Amino acid sequence: MRVELFQSAGCKSCADARNNLKSIAEHAVPGVVWRDVDAVKELDYAVEVGVMSLPALAVDGQLVFSSLPTAAQLTRELQRRAAGASHGR
Amino acid sequence: MLTIGKLAAQTDLSTNALRFYEREGLIQPSSKSPSGYRLYGEDAVARVGFIKHAQHCGFTLTEINELLTLRAQDSACCDDVRRLAVDKKLQLEGKIRAMKVMSGALDLLIAECPDQGRPVGDCPILGAMEKIGQGSRT
Repeated sequence: MRVELFQSAGCKSCADARNNLKSIAEHAVPGVVWRDVDAVKELDYAVEVGVMSLPALAVDGQLVFSSLPTAAQLTRELQRRAAGASHGR
Repeated sequence: MLTIGKLAAQTDLSTNALRFYEREGLIQPSSKSPSGYRLYGEDAVARVGFIKHAQHCGFTLTEINELLTLRAQDSACCDDVRRLAVDKKLQLEGKIRAMKVMSGALDLLIAECPDQGRPVGDCPILGAMEKIGQGSRT
């Protein structure tokens, strides 16, 4: 599962929350690949995903949170997706 | 001090536009003349210029108010302004992308109707629109 945090340089709230969210994502489900996306450098990709404001968080290329989620929200979302993926197999 | 007429002349705006800015909380007269006319300080010219430029960049009046507030805050920094600018850029690019999709859809419809002089009942564009409408209801 690919988790992408869209942010821009100088975003203090992103920097503060980033390490915490990354750790939560990696512990929530196995196989999480975390990627930090600078929305200015990857503007086309950010627009393609539907990011309209920063910070935002996408899972597997799909915009899931248009603002920073809480630890519980992120854990719930990743576990829901992981359960869906295992049922689909 | 500037009257609203002089401020309008110096900023190339109408007095109605300046009153609208005032209602939206973007500018305020610094005082009133004894006869009750609005009077603005010389800094109002730069402030109105700022508002106009921000509007040209696509910022809404609410967002411009936020920018003006940031500009006046000692605790704010350029990163706060940059974040608003990046958000606006993302929104504009999103709209451009959506409009290109719409434009592409129109290209297809226009290509469907190369002939002139057809009766309206035989118009392929209207026909295609009806099909799309029926498809969206099912």
